[in-house]
Amino acid sequence: MARDKIYLEEVFPSPFMQLWSGFRKTPVAMLGFYCFMFLVVLAIFSPIIVPYNPIDGNLDMILLPPSWHEDGDVSYLLGTDELGRDMLSRLMYGTSLTFGLSFVVVIVSLVIGVVIGSLSALTKGIKSSFLNHCLDVILSIPSLLLAIIIVAILGPGISNTVLAVAIVFIPQFIHITRYAVKEEFRKDYVLASRLDGASNFRILYYSIFPNIVERLMSQATLVQSAAILDIATLGFLGLGAQIPLPEWGAILANGLERFYIAPWTVYLPGLAILFAVVATNLVGEGIRHALKLRKES
Amino acid sequence: MSVLLEVKDLSKSFKLKGYWYHKRTFCALSPLSFTIESKKTLAIVGENGSGKSTLAKILVGAKTPSSGEIYLNGQLLNNQHFKERCQKIRMIFQDFGTTLNPSLTIQQLLDEPLTLNTDLDETERYQLIYTTLHKVGLLGDHMNFYPHMFSGGQKQRISLARAIILQPQVIILDEALAALDPSLRSQMINLLLDLQQQMGLAYILISHNLGIVRHFSDDVIVLSHGEVVESGKTLEVMRNPQHKVTQKLMMSQNFRLK
Amino acid sequence: MNLLDIRNLSIELETPSGRVRAVDKVSLSIKEGEVRGLVGESGSGKSLLAQAIMGVLQDKWHVHADRFHWRGIDLLRLSIDERKALLCRDIAMIFQEPMSCLDPTTLIGAQLSEAIDTSQLTGNYWQRRKQRKEAVIKLLHKVGIKKHSQCINSYPNQLTEAICQRVMIAIALAGRPILLIADEPTAAMESTNQGQIFRLLANLNQFKNMSILLISHDLENLTHWTSTITVMYSGQFVEAGSTEQIFNKPMHPYTQALVGSSTKANLRLPAKSRLMTLPGSIPVLQHLPIGCRLGPRCPRAQQICVRAPKVTNFHGHKVSCHFPLFKETNKKVSVKGKVVKGSN
Repeated sequence: MARDKIYLEEVFPSPFMQLWSGFRKTPVAMLGFYCFMFLVVLAIFSPIIVPYNPIDGNLDMILLPPSWHEDGDVSYLLGTDELGRDMLSRLMYGTSLTFGLSFVVVIVSLVIGVVIGSLSALTKGIKSSFLNHCLDVILSIPSLLLAIIIVAILGPGISNTVLAVAIVFIPQFIHITRYAVKEEFRKDYVLASRLDGASNFRILYYSIFPNIVERLMSQATLVQSAAILDIATLGFLGLGAQIPLPEWGAILANGLERFYIAPWTVYLPGLAILFAVVATNLVGEGIRHALKLRKES
Repeated sequence: MSVLLEVKDLSKSFKLKGYWYHKRTFCALSPLSFTIESKKTLAIVGENGSGKSTLAKILVGAKTPSSGEIYLNGQLLNNQHFKERCQKIRMIFQDFGTTLNPSLTIQQLLDEPLTLNTDLDETERYQLIYTTLHKVGLLGDHMNFYPHMFSGGQKQRISLARAIILQPQVIILDEALAALDPSLRSQMINLLLDLQQQMGLAYILISHNLGIVRHFSDDVIVLSHGEVVESGKTLEVMRNPQHKVTQKLMMSQNFRLK
Repeated sequence: MNLLDIRNLSIELETPSGRVRAVDKVSLSIKEGEVRGLVGESGSGKSLLAQAIMGVLQDKWHVHADRFHWRGIDLLRLSIDERKALLCRDIAMIFQEPMSCLDPTTLIGAQLSEAIDTSQLTGNYWQRRKQRKEAVIKLLHKVGIKKHSQCINSYPNQLTEAICQRVMIAIALAGRPILLIADEPTAAMESTNQGQIFRLLANLNQFKNMSILLISHDLENLTHWTSTITVMYSGQFVEAGSTEQIFNKPMHPYTQALVGSSTKANLRLPAKSRLMTLPGSIPVLQHLPIGCRLGPRCPRAQQICVRAPKVTNFHGHKVSCHFPLFKETNKKVSVKGKVVKGSN
């Protein structure tokens, strides 16, 4: 009689764990992931751990260069701006604004896009086509321009920025979800589920979503890096976060006039934006690479 | 043996996409009738596009027929009886790569038809899954594995386990054996024959391969462009093929019964 | 003369758990003008072997052989580039799903004319275009496509699988190869079309004296069309000989099981009886048995089978087994040994 446990390896990796171990094998992707996690932690905890108040300034310490300059002071690690506000605290607080809000944007557009896309995939004919293409007009206008228009209509302010940028990215998720769900529907196990008597919702939840979630995640990272740039650009143009909120784009715009006297007020927020975008893109690349590895093995 | 499944004048036609004032219909299946008894196998043979898969999908309930009736155990099946139908008539698919959900363990996969159709509690379900896996020749340990860890033959066995777990009466094999290697095919055929004797199942086998058809089936129906061109007991049809289509099929596979 | 002579070819793969031998010391030889069949189920390494002959394996596979001769030239002494140049000119390969092997965005005519080598076109520069067109039409006629104009002006997805496979054969013939390797050419087709493709290959072999290596997982398909057959199991060489010898007097237990599972043998069995099978299933790459890889499943396995058997030759019928089936007529070998339980 055959014994029950004959395999020495006790671990039964699910497809998600396989993806994770493939992700871990790429050192560049793991580096990006650690930076991403660092930014997430900073975005959540920055109001608590900032050394100085990012809004009130110390008028004695105007335009102090960063601490590695000869005039710099180590208590103001990255220098101060023209109102004496500490650059480090402003940047940390800005993480929760630019980066954190981009996260919110992605989640909002993902949820709305997936709901509309699944409805579109479940129905047939004109209803399906309508749901699929109803927001396509948004795709035809460049995302930044559309965000500017919406903010111009609704008025400047950071909540309107989030709304504008979220609306811009919904149609992408609709298309991707609809295509992925339609592809999954053609597979035999969905038919087997349906023949077992499962309702549409149950099929979506158990059979389809676990298999498309990875594709949605890789698209979500692309959308997030675009969202970071859009929020920063709107802040730069003065349409997004208003003074004195320390959003990275707004800090950059502020320091632009004094670029020759105090260049650190410009290049430091620029570096922060670069860091966030690169980290997000590395995570997205890592996911796509791990998906490809999993498919090959 | 009593008649298990009876099909009367089943037909299916599709509306082709044409202009709205000039819709053409495409007749996938002309009216056909047949009966199956318990512990017997009916084979459906024909080239691609002859309507075999359409017939399989109609029988299992995935498509509704344009006309005709299906009687199971003397009772008429229609759309209200979907639950009963999915318990009694089950199907095994051809492409074993996509027939199992890759993100569920085998236990969750086999749990689904049980939770949807029966009232067993968790320990009873576990026990039933365990015994079913043993019946198809797998180990109880395999319950925790994911589908990507199995080979093709084992995936077909899991597919078979999913089909028999609800104690059905009719199983439809939609070219299930075509993609397997010959030695695995023989093992699968032995398993199916054993299960047929143990559980009193009736099989409907859809296949190209005349060797399997000859070995495995009692009656055969030959379809061509949706019409039944020949039907009868397997041995008689294979010894004296009357219709041109049957003869051509047998010639192309170099098949000659002595 | 032997066209292709390979002795003890092994293909290894680096895995986290050590070096795995996907193909273990396989020998293959093809004579001029013969059609050889290579039979093996999934996991037997036959596609790997074909790709190793062509030289198109990925870098992760390591190939080495004791002898690798092509028309008398020792290929192991040449550099990789020289070997590739020589083999690509003389050997062509066709694959399993023809529709996915053709470029879906280009017309068939363009793909065929791309395959024709400029050196075959005689004539001046301005005559080349017309000559290319004529060469394409001639190729299509050679593979039996009469309506060439319709074929040239269509995309691959507008044609059936059988016609696409013929187009693939035509592309392969454009280089005037001496050996054609067909890697399961008819797996995706139904039986009527399979016969057409095999007949075409047999015609090419007969009239153009082109040797063919036909790879398949179905033994009975090959019996009509091949003169010699090599059988592989799980990367190891099992048996080789003429078709008649293999089919009527299989010497290896695995070949016997394969022959037993074909329909010709089953015709004699009564309907709905149990078929003769080997228990267990094909070993996966991670858990390959040592020695003879059929060991765990073989009904005649004994202690000695943990060492890989040597190849013995009985009048051109080569077999690799410690206890071949027909040796018993000479010596009385007791089969009652410790039968190893199959892992099921």
